[in-house]
Amino acid sequence: MSSVAPIAPVPVAPTTARPAAVARRRLRRGHVARRIGINLLGLAVFTVMIFPVYWMVATAFKPGRNIQDYKPHWFPAPATLSNFTNAVHRPYFWTDVKNSLIIVSFVVVLSLTVAFLAALALSRFRFYGRTAFIFLILGTLMVPLAALIIPLYITLSRVHLINTLTGVIAMYMTFVLPFSVWTLQGFMRGVPRELEEAAMVDGSTRFGAFVRILLPLVAPGLVATSIFAFIQAWNEFIIAYVFLHDGSKQTITVWLASFTNLHGTDWGPLMAGATLTALPVVVFFVLIQRRIAFGLTAGAVRG
Amino acid sequence: MAAIQLVHVSKEYGGGALAVNDLNLEIAEGEFVVLVGPSGCGKTTALRMVAGLEEITDGEIRIGDRVVNDLAPRDRDIAMVFQNYALYPHKTVYENLVFGLRMRKVPKEERRRRVEEIARILGLEDMLQRRPAQLSGGQRQRVAMGRAIVREPQAFLMDEPLSNLDAKLRVQMRAEIARIQQTLAVTTLYVTHDQVEAMTMGHRVAVMRGGVLQQVDTPQRLYDSPGNLFVASFVGSPAMNLLEVVLERDGGTLVCRVGDTDLELPADTVGRRPALERFVGRHIAVGIRPEALSEAGEDPDAPRLRGRVLLVEALGAESLAHVEVTGTPLDRPELVDVAASQTHLLPVGERTATLLARLEHDTGVRPGHIVDLAVDTRRLHFFDLESGVAIAAAAAPVTAAAVG
Amino acid sequence: MAVAESEFPLVSRRRRRLSGRRVASALAPYALLAPAAAIIGAVLGYPLYLLVRLSFEKYGLFELVRHHGTWVGLGNYRKIFHDSQFWHVVLRTVVFTAVNVTLTMVLGTAIALLIARLGRFMRLLLTTALVLVWATPVVVAVNIWRWMVDYEFGVANWTLTKLHFGNFVHHDWFASSLSGFGVITAVIVWGAIPFVAITVYAGLSQVPQELIEAAQIDGARAWNVFREVTLPLLKPIFIILASLSIIWDFQVFNQVWIMLGERPSPDYYLMSIYAFVESFRINEYGLGSAIAVVMVAMMMVATLVYIRQMVKTGEVR
Ligand SMILES: Nc1ncnc2c1ncn2[C@@H]1O[C@H](COP(=O)(O)OP(=O)(O)OP(=O)(O)O)[C@@H](O)[C@H]1O
Ligand SMILES: [Mg+2]
Repeated sequence: MSSVAPIAPVPVAPTTARPAAVARRRLRRGHVARRIGINLLGLAVFTVMIFPVYWMVATAFKPGRNIQDYKPHWFPAPATLSNFTNAVHRPYFWTDVKNSLIIVSFVVVLSLTVAFLAALALSRFRFYGRTAFIFLILGTLMVPLAALIIPLYITLSRVHLINTLTGVIAMYMTFVLPFSVWTLQGFMRGVPRELEEAAMVDGSTRFGAFVRILLPLVAPGLVATSIFAFIQAWNEFIIAYVFLHDGSKQTITVWLASFTNLHGTDWGPLMAGATLTALPVVVFFVLIQRRIAFGLTAGAVRG
Repeated sequence: MAAIQLVHVSKEYGGGALAVNDLNLEIAEGEFVVLVGPSGCGKTTALRMVAGLEEITDGEIRIGDRVVNDLAPRDRDIAMVFQNYALYPHKTVYENLVFGLRMRKVPKEERRRRVEEIARILGLEDMLQRRPAQLSGGQRQRVAMGRAIVREPQAFLMDEPLSNLDAKLRVQMRAEIARIQQTLAVTTLYVTHDQVEAMTMGHRVAVMRGGVLQQVDTPQRLYDSPGNLFVASFVGSPAMNLLEVVLERDGGTLVCRVGDTDLELPADTVGRRPALERFVGRHIAVGIRPEALSEAGEDPDAPRLRGRVLLVEALGAESLAHVEVTGTPLDRPELVDVAASQTHLLPVGERTATLLARLEHDTGVRPGHIVDLAVDTRRLHFFDLESGVAIAAAAAPVTAAAVG
Repeated sequence: MAVAESEFPLVSRRRRRLSGRRVASALAPYALLAPAAAIIGAVLGYPLYLLVRLSFEKYGLFELVRHHGTWVGLGNYRKIFHDSQFWHVVLRTVVFTAVNVTLTMVLGTAIALLIARLGRFMRLLLTTALVLVWATPVVVAVNIWRWMVDYEFGVANWTLTKLHFGNFVHHDWFASSLSGFGVITAVIVWGAIPFVAITVYAGLSQVPQELIEAAQIDGARAWNVFREVTLPLLKPIFIILASLSIIWDFQVFNQVWIMLGERPSPDYYLMSIYAFVESFRINEYGLGSAIAVVMVAMMMVATLVYIRQMVKTGEVR
């Protein structure tokens, strides 16, 4: 089509004031300088934010003499795995990892099952008391664990559940369950009701529609919520700290927090242990970050 | 008020393709120019470069006597009306209108006076304390206009400001915008993909395609003498019928062979287009506006095409007949919305084209009838098949001839 | 049941079935909610009731063994309200919360605005860093920072000395509670920035570009665009983030507790620590409960703001 020239080209004389090319170059240069400046600032923020994480990993791989040196060794060279072997051979490491896994699995399965049913009710039915229940779920935020722990301790000591994983599993429900209900009902509300209605019109029962339509569509949300429940339970400290006295009954976070002994802190193994503790969480977090990030605020901006 | 000039302006978004390719356009002081073209042709890009919202890859833009290439939007002293109005949802109508004046540090008393005046002109007085969400589409549109007007800028830029309104309101606002522009005599660049809007509103219309400016002219001249096949097919509703024909010499006259019918060309038509001689014996494209076709009378010598009626659309004041004739429909990529190229939608044979004819409202023609269509051969348009460029009449008497 | 039903005439059977189904579907949501409600009642509702009751009782070691408190009415409250240390702790907690929330919100928002202006590569890099920080468990984060500010081999002391901020060789950050809280604030703000930054960034990307352009054409400079357009549009997000931050920072426990080797001196008491120490170190569970009840009452305000905003923005429907 290049052969069809503009039929009525407008006669405009090029300006004599400043050739276009010069103006363009000037604009570009200012632009580029600004962009470089902004990206440098981004790099600075990146460095500040990532440094502590880097420092943990780097320390974990450094030999003791490079750790215990007033002048920092910025890179883990030479690198060693001895801190990791040291950490995992400390008393109760594997037992406490196992305890954490047991607690977390029970908490996730239990809270997700119960939360799924509740979320179904909240997102798919209108009923008397629905709003009240939602306020109840959101209201649990205002009860700090440090406050709740006192009556919980008194109750559990009455029923002799102190120093048992069962008691801790039950208490983890206090914060995992409301969160799971809230997140899941958000995911379910994102699945249009019309899809189930279409299935029902096509001859499916209401229950069948839940199973065949809603469940597969909300599955990614279920996975995300499970992972987040996992992370919350894995990271919990204060309840496990108060209720589990024996070293062999504790969780990995308590194990990590009690690393310091009377002779001071063994930083290399501690950082290795910290790296190991953070690892599953980081892996899971990166997997679901996109989905969960906005659960608490989603949709708050409407143009 | 100021003139706007685009000189060899190009825009590349990255990826090598030019969204706007060497655009030259001048909008005189107080003039209303409409930029029109199919979706994706670069209209919005051109407008946003004038506004300063998009960097210019090449060329120069001037507003008044300033080169504005590296001026920020706020320093260009232009106002823009967006397709979705872009009203600040958290501000009241009054705050929306006054915002630009506040930013420009207009004194408080002056601000109030100007906003109230504009609100009165646009009939928004009772809504000043409402939020955009509490307004109807038409009212929002009016606030958006008001926000542009109140600033008393050098120029208005509008990007499809009516496309979110329903059909009736659109017609109404079309007239209103044109009236306001006339009263204020502000230089205006208006973007639309709706050629009816373009033709009814603009002093001049600039037709773009694929980033390239095709033709700039008054609506009437665009209609009467489209410069190439694309403009011919784009301008006019219903669109021009375009056929591929063979130009032959038959004794002293030239004839167009449409299928197996010869249309004799009047001597003065040929006389004004000396270039036609070069195409004798070759295929060319011929364009026939629907109103140049009518039900043939008794005169057997008048040029006519015979065909079968496929469909009659009664529009009230007139009827549009779709008539299938033997002939070769034009099939080229640049053609949009051409009746003759739509033939594949209808069950037709190999070498048939469907023509659109504007008939009297009380026509007796019905689908299935065989009709003779009289062709006003003085109003034919001729195009070079290779380049698509019009084989135009020599300068002066074109308009008269085409209309006559 | 099916057999019995078939004996009824058709009409009445249909009516019975219908109403039976209606009852079932009216009860369904309650049945679905029942397990969740039961668990929340058992692990949250009952303990909360017990907390309030404990706050009116003398409950020490003796009572713990006896499993029975002694009613003292408002005695515990009278005691803490007349205790100047309590008021110090309240004030410290409020100031601590205010500082942390302010820093988190301001820095988080600034970083969100920065992310929006970065090139693609830097943006990816920075958001990856933010996600990594976000994912770091609190216990791990506290230990990292404890290591960085270690008085002997900490990287902070060496760097600050090298940068001529003064002599930080063998500087003990926890000797003074002010600098100690500085480190604790750093841990908290560092850990909380990602959530705020990423959420605000997501909000920013939802602000229609046209509105920003309209404001630019209207003559607004960058600061005015932010103040007049972006900020008001993001207000709901800011309210939610701020109230969540208040809720979280007001109940900070782990960061202080672990940072100070599980025995913080009274200079470091925040309300949560104070309640914990009163209960589990001094075994005055009644007093600890009273402090905790005051804490819950204070948190209620922030929670109400949060819930109100969630209702307003249509999250609660
Ligand atoms: N930001 C951008 N980045 C890359 N390409 C772009 C961008 N904006 C537009 N384009 C491309 O430039 C061309 C012209 O786009 P433009 O928006 O100017 O079209 P338009 O004529 O306004 O179309 P419409 O009538 O649909 O609004 C299109 O091919 C489009 O895909
Ligand atoms: Mg456009």
